[in-house]
Order: sequence, then structure tokens, then C-alpha cells
Amino acid sequence: MSRRSDTLPVPSGQTRSQVLRDQSIYTQLLEVMWHLQQTMREHFVQLMSRQGLLQERRHIQAIREQEALLSRLLCQMINLLQSGATSGLEPQPLSSEDSRGDVRYGQGTQLAGQPDPVPQLSDCEATFVTRDLSNRGTDISALYWSSFQDYNAYQKDKYHKDKNPLGFINLGTSENKLCIDLMAERLQESDMNCVEEALLQYPDWRGQPFLREEVARFLTYYCRAPAPLDPENVVVLNGCCSVFSALAMVLCDPGEAFLVPTPFYGGFAFSSRLYAKVELIPVHLESKITAINTYPFQLTVDKLEEALFEARLKGKDIRGLVLTNPQNPLGDIYSPDSLMKYLEFAKRHDLHVIIDEIYMLSVFDESITFHSVLSMKSLPDRNRTHVVWGTSKDFGISGFRFGALYTHNKEVASVVSAFGYLHSISGITQHKLCQLLRNTEWIDKVYLPTNRFRLREAHKYVTAKLKALEIPFHNRSSGLYVWINLKKYLDPCTFEEEQLLYRRFLDHKLLLSCGKAYMCKEPGWFCLIFADELPRLKLAMRRFCDVLEEQKQDLIVKQLEDAMRE
Amino acid sequence: MFALPQKNFRAPTTCLGPTCTQDMDRSHGDDLEGECSRKLDQKLPGVGDPVMLSSDTSYLSSRGRMIKWFWDLAEEGYRTYHMDEYDEDKNPSGIINLGTSENKLCFDLLSRRLSQSDMQWVEPSLLQYPDWRGHLFLREEVAKFLTFYCKSPVPLRPENVVVLNGGASLFSALATVLCEVGEAFLIPTPYYGAITQHVCLYGNVRLAYVYLDSEVTGLDTRPFQLTVEKLETALREAYSEGVRVKGLILINPQNPLGDVYSTEELQEYLVFAKRHKLHVIVDEVYMLSVFEESVGYHSVLSLERLPDPQRTHVMWATSKDFGMSGLRFATLYTENKDVATAVASLCRYHGLSGLVQYQMAQLLRDRDWINQVYLPENHARLKAAHTYVSEELRALGIPFLSRGAGFFIWVDLRKYLPKGTFEEEMLLWRRFLDNKVLLSFGKAFECKEPGWFRFVFSDQAHRLRLGMQRVRQVLTGKSQVAEDPHPSQTQKPSDQCR
Repeated sequence: MSRRSDTLPVPSGQTRSQVLRDQSIYTQLLEVMWHLQQTMREHFVQLMSRQGLLQERRHIQAIREQEALLSRLLCQMINLLQSGATSGLEPQPLSSEDSRGDVRYGQGTQLAGQPDPVPQLSDCEATFVTRDLSNRGTDISALYWSSFQDYNAYQKDKYHKDKNPLGFINLGTSENKLCIDLMAERLQESDMNCVEEALLQYPDWRGQPFLREEVARFLTYYCRAPAPLDPENVVVLNGCCSVFSALAMVLCDPGEAFLVPTPFYGGFAFSSRLYAKVELIPVHLESKITAINTYPFQLTVDKLEEALFEARLKGKDIRGLVLTNPQNPLGDIYSPDSLMKYLEFAKRHDLHVIIDEIYMLSVFDESITFHSVLSMKSLPDRNRTHVVWGTSKDFGISGFRFGALYTHNKEVASVVSAFGYLHSISGITQHKLCQLLRNTEWIDKVYLPTNRFRLREAHKYVTAKLKALEIPFHNRSSGLYVWINLKKYLDPCTFEEEQLLYRRFLDHKLLLSCGKAYMCKEPGWFCLIFADELPRLKLAMRRFCDVLEEQKQDLIVKQLEDAMRE
Repeated sequence: MFALPQKNFRAPTTCLGPTCTQDMDRSHGDDLEGECSRKLDQKLPGVGDPVMLSSDTSYLSSRGRMIKWFWDLAEEGYRTYHMDEYDEDKNPSGIINLGTSENKLCFDLLSRRLSQSDMQWVEPSLLQYPDWRGHLFLREEVAKFLTFYCKSPVPLRPENVVVLNGGASLFSALATVLCEVGEAFLIPTPYYGAITQHVCLYGNVRLAYVYLDSEVTGLDTRPFQLTVEKLETALREAYSEGVRVKGLILINPQNPLGDVYSTEELQEYLVFAKRHKLHVIVDEVYMLSVFEESVGYHSVLSLERLPDPQRTHVMWATSKDFGMSGLRFATLYTENKDVATAVASLCRYHGLSGLVQYQMAQLLRDRDWINQVYLPENHARLKAAHTYVSEELRALGIPFLSRGAGFFIWVDLRKYLPKGTFEEEMLLWRRFLDNKVLLSFGKAFECKEPGWFRFVFSDQAHRLRLGMQRVRQVLTGKSQVAEDPHPSQTQKPSDQCR
């Protein structure tokens, strides 16, 4: 056998044994580095716990900074070694394999020049310990670990007012927890529970016809479509991430890319990279108001053109544009005019447009009207416009796993359904969803008014606090979040400092999302989810204030020291 | 409100992977584009013009066009059945489906159980983002359930359990995290052909076949027997052709053979895998559908000691054993933490509703109902249906294989193919379909010998009787297949196997 395997194709000019020898050196080196990393971590943990209560917080901060610095160095070395150790293993580094690199370095390269210490650290951790996995399996684990480790920590140590009052409060995951009482009540009604033979058997992989019909009706009504939408254009999968992943698979080849205006919800970035190996190229928006920027983070066609031009200059194959409307995390709503301009831009360049309207019913400011892309009389490029909606946000049932695609392009609808069996929804769940969507009376008279009212109240509470702290924020109208500017608490204003502040929130058992996770260009922005029940929200805001107070004290001390040194 | 459901698996026999042609099988390290161009050269018969693939009018990427091409191919044959599905009242002359492996015998028991009040529980945590591995309460229940029914010598642990929305997703996730693009799993044939698509669609992973024969030779004791020698040969061949093999897929009880591996056999296969550092995925999705009491079924989890526990991954689901293929629940059990974590990392895309997770936990926990009501009744009904179909086959003088597990009988119709070709097999399959009975043909299972068919018997008696009657008409009416097949008739039908 082993003699046989010598005939395996190897990279040019090398014999397999040579490759193996080189690998083993790399592997040994990696082993040593890994031990070093472990030791270092343990050392820092000891250092912090020993000094934790005795010394000033400022020193802990210093230790943390050193840790971050050392970690980064180690990570760079390990990543280098890792690429060396695995390079000989790939029989044919073809395009889809090449994009593997994008997975590991993706975010780093997109934000070139910005240091990225902490997530990278966990990257390598996961990268190294997994010997039974394929390279991409390792990457997937690492990417997941780096993106969701804090979420996992929260899952294991959730706040509960009696059972775990010191647990994590999560204002970092975009979930609406305000109307769970209404939903629970609705879901317990008798029409929800139906067990029919058809529901327990293999389904239509596009989604059960009864559900697709209901989704078409629902979207026709709530998106104010000029003509009834067609159930044949609906594909139903287990979540919007799945829809996005399937779309990325069928619209792009590995290594191709979508444009996305940033700040942008990071979950889709994850989706496109994980399976489809599709890159997201940011269209960076700026907070500063200028002649061309009439409001913060304004998306203009000029910016789109510029980003497209630059990307193409770099040899990127851009296949589409991803828009979120209402925008996450900005809470902006595109006017029909701007929407039309973006769509025309896309048409001009033969780009697909994926529009995520998952917050469309979560517009809580009644003076603002949301215009779905499906409400337009005529779309500039019907066959390249694909709309995504789900119940996770608007109905606060992210645990239901439901996402729908609406596209006029029959070809796309048909081929996305090929992914149906990998992203299918239980027949029993499909029945419940159908019942939920069909009851527009309950939605219009009970659910939506209550939901809007509660969102408005929670928003009011949080923004009042922010105003008191003189923290600038963005979003007054829609979604479950406010986009807040904590730049004044960062000195210097870098992504490293942002990360440290994020960690400080975590230390106080408060989970927020930092701007970096939204691919924001400017350090210092955070996303704060306010759609939580008032007692929890109050406690969370108390923790939030404590952290900022602590951070402020540290800044003052630091500035004083700097002044004395000069 | 309930329109006709589509109960069938409808991915193509031919997929992006190796099933398509031998050549495809031998290629390795290709990405989809590579395959695409290769496909263009091949001009598969009767599937429309593959030149369409390069069509400028398409809105899809070349990867998307490939997927579409195969998907449409599947749709084409599948549509025939769904446009004309049998219904006792509404469409008595419609097509009877003896092709899809679904258990339709126990819906009455299941619907009663699932309608009980403990199933209707709703609580906030079930409606929110879950632990992507599956809710802990469910993983605990799964661990207990598998410990009991797999007769594990030690209690299984909830942290080794990952829950997903169906076996297809699990195959896809495992292929992705265990193999690079173009690498392969060994699989003994005939096998449940849909696995080809599961490992290929996202993962771009291939299957390397271990071809088994119906003829009993050498030390074999039964037809289509899997031996370590055959595994070794297949592995050697794969390597010599430059295919990197990362693992072995075993289905136990086997689909479509209905075979059950003895503990000694299992042990040998596992030792073989360990010798070559191969992962082993053991699909035990029919483990509770062993209806013949004399058959001693042994789960891989019952072994005292696994040769390579870090590379042994077990899958189970409720689709078959609980007759709920529409429920979309499957589970992985692996002691390998890295594999569990990596699969869980993909679970964002393969999650199932919290409410369903709760229902599953309730179902698996109800040992009294399972042991005293469901399993005995299910086995009795499976046995009765099996007896009926096998007696029909005996009366027709048709040889078949079936060892008392699963929902199907592997039927030898070779004597009806004068030339013994796959074209004839296809024609015979079409004749069955024309006579309104849908079966699965051997090619869909990548069987080496033309002329084998899979008959699914786990259906209600009235449908089964009618189905067998139609089968008999085809086989006794004319036992010779028409000589000059029309080219359009060689069209590949959908993969009717599941």
C-alpha cells in the first residue's frame, strides 16, 4: 500500500517523501509553538488572577495588551507554519482550494492594515488541535470558534434573575425577546398542532406547497406587491443563512465575490465563506457628514461604482450586490428612489442583487414607511433581483429556523431548491409557520401593534441612557438595535482598543457586538440590541455604564501619565 | 389546504460526483469547473443538450449551472410520478410508489403519540437561537436512547451528540469537515445512491466503490458479501488512480440489501479502516427496523472496544425507524471532539426548530410507548408486508435477497433482461412505470450487475396489493424486453431510491 501511495501526485519537482519530511519538520515546529502558546496563555491567566483584585485595573489592562501583542506574533508564526505544513498535502491546488485562504485570512485581508489579534488567536488554537479534520474542516471550526466563542460562553452561562443573577446578558445577538409571550400563546392554539401523514413524509424540497402559497400571499400583502406574488417563485429553507448560502453557491463560483455596503451584518459573511467560498467585498461607508455624505453612513451609487471599480482592478470577479433593508446595524431604511438607483447600478453592471428584508415588519417609528423591493412597479432587472425574508426577527422566533427566497428568476428558484434537502424544515414546523402567516388578523391587530409599541419603549429607554452618557448613536426607526459610537472611550482609537473594550464588557458579563464584526471601517462602533425585556435591559445598561465609567477612569489616568511624561 | 406532497427524494442518480461515469470516478482533485468542462465533452445520452451549460443566457455561475443541470435531470423523471400519484379515491389508476424507502405502516400510532398534550409545549428558549449542536435536553435524551437501543457497554455522552435536520445534512457536513475537495469515501455497492449527492453538493467529495457481486465465491457465505479483501482491493485501486480516500461509509442494516453485519464482520471492517487511518461513518438509520427476531443486530456502539474510536462516527435518524422522513431529525455520535465541533460549526445551516427538538426529546424518552406499543406493532406490520411481497415474488419464481431488516427487498430480475445491460434495466423500469408502479433500479444503487431492483414493501396493504399486481402484469405479460430501444427512452429517470 505504502509503495503504491508513492505514486500520488505531488507538487512539481518534489518527491512525496521529501514533502513528508518537510511536513514533519513543520509539524514539529508547530508542536513547539503550540506548547509555547499554551504556556504563555496559562502564564497570563495566572498573572491576571493573582493580581486581579490587588492591583489596579490599569495593570490588568496592560497585561492584556501585552498578551494581545504576543498572541498576535505567535499567531502569525503559527499561521505561516500551518500553511507550510499543509501545502504539500493538497494534490491539486485548484481555484476552489485557493479560496481556502480567504476563509482564514478573509476578514484580515479585507481590512488590510488593521491588526486583528484576538480572533486570530482562537483561530490558531482551533487550527492546531484538530488533526482528524480536513483543512477546510479545520478552517470552518476555527472560523466558527473565533466568531462564536463568546456566544457559546453566553449559552453556557446565561443570566437568570433567580438562578444565575451573575450570568451573561446578551445585547449582542439580534433577537427580539419582547413578544415571546404573544408568540408562545399563539403557538399553543389548537390550529398549530396538526399531524398529517404528508407532514411526516418526504416533502417537496422547495417547501410544502401550502406553505409556499401562504408565503406568497403574506409577502404580497406586507410588501405591497403591485401584483400577487407567485408561490412557484418561493423557496423555503431552514433559515436566511441557508438561503444566502445556497444563493452564493448557485450565483457565484468559488473565489468570486459580492459587494456589500458596510457596516454589515456579519452572519452573511460567514455564510458565504463557509460552504460557498464566496468573498464579500466591502463598500465602506463613513460616519462623517460631508458634501457627498448628507447623512452618516450614506450609501451612494458613486461609492458603489468606486468599490466595484477598485475590486475589478484587483482582479475580483464581482457577481452581485447584497443589500439589507431595513439596514442592520444602522436601522436605515432606503427610500424608493435610492433603492431604484442601487438596482439600476446593479443592472448597469449585470450584478445580481440579494435584498435581505428580514426586518421589514420591525419598523417601529410609525412616521416612517418601509418600501419593499417587491412593492416596486417594475424592477430594473427582475431576473437578477432576489429577496430574502424570514420569521426570525419580525416574529422573534429565531429558533424556528425559517427563511424564504422570493425570486422572479425560475432558474434560480429551481436550482436553489436543489439545496432543499440539506436545508429542509420539518413538516410539522411548516404547518405551524403556515398557520402563523395566514392569520393576518392576529398579526395586524395583536402582534404587530404590540411588537412595535414594545420595540419603541425599549428603544426609548436605551437611547435615553445613551443620551445621558452623551454617546452618539444611529437608528431611530427600525430593527432591534442601535449603532453606537464609543470612540471617545478609546485612546488611541484603534480596533485593538475596540477589542479591549469589548472584552471589558464581557468581563462584566455583558455581550455586545463590536464594529469590527460588522466589517466597519472605523474603530469604536458597537451594536447594541435593545429588544429585550426591561428588567434585563435595565441591568444590562447598568453594567454598560459601569464598564464605561471604568474605561473613563483608566483613560484619565493614562492621559495624566502621558502628560507627566512630557 | 394540503396539496399533494412530494414524498420522494429527487436528486439525480448522476450527480456532480462519481456516479456519472467511470471516468468521473477516477478523476480527483477537480473543482466543479473542471468537471463541468469534462461533462461537456461527454455528451450523456438523452439528457437535453449539455451545451446548455455554457449558455450565455443563464443567470447562474458555472457551479450553479452544473447543479441545475443535474437537478433538472432528476426533476424530469420525478415529475412523471408526481403528476400522477395514486390515490384510492381521487386517482385509482395513478402510480403506486414502491420506490421510495418510507415506512407508511404506522402513521396511526405516530399521529396519536405526536398529538398528545406533552408534545405541544412552547417555551421561550425553544423559540430563540439554540445551542447549534442541538438543545442540551435533546442531546441528553439522544445519548440515553442510543445507550439503550444500541446496547452500549458504557453510557453515551450528550457532548458527543450533534443534532441536525436529517441524514443528508449530516453526510454533507461530515464530508466537508473530513475531506478536501476531490477526496473520497469508500462505499460498498449496491448502496443508497443519494449519498452521492449529499457528499458532493456542498462538499465536492466523491465516492470510491467497493463493488460486490451477487455470486457467492471463495470464502463468501452470502451474495454481495463485503470482505476486508474487497475493501483492500478497492482502496488500492483508488490510490493507484490518484484518488485520496479519507474514509469508509458503512450502512448497517444495509440499504438496499437488508443485510446486517455480524460483530465479527464489523470488527474486521473497523480494523481495516484503522490500519489505513480511515474514518468510518456508520449509518444505522434502520437499526430499529430489524423485524425478523432471529436476526441479531449489533450497533457499532455496542462493541466492547472500538478499534479507532476517534475515527468512528455513527449516525442515526428518526426518518426510517419512526417513519418520519418529513420530520427532518438526525443525529451524529462521535467521540472525536474536533469532528463534533466542526460539524456543529455547520449546524447554523442544518438546524431544526426548537419545538421539534422538544417533541423529539419527548418521543425518545417515552420508552414504554416505544417498547410496548410502537416497536412490536411496527415490526409485526413490517413482517406481514414483507411476507406478502416475498410470497408474491416466490409465486412468480423470482429470486430475491432480504434478511429481515429495512423496508425493502432486493429483487433479481436479471432473467427478464436478455442481453443483461443497464439499458434493458432502464427499459424494464420504464415498463413498470408505464404500468403505474414505481420501483428503484439497481443502477441507482451503483449495482455492478444489471437487472436488480429494489421493492419497498412498507406500505399499506391495499396499495401494496395493487402495486404487486401491476408488477406481475409487467413480468408475466411479456417477459421479453422490446428489442430496439428508442433513444429518447434511455433517458435517465430520477433517483427513486431513498
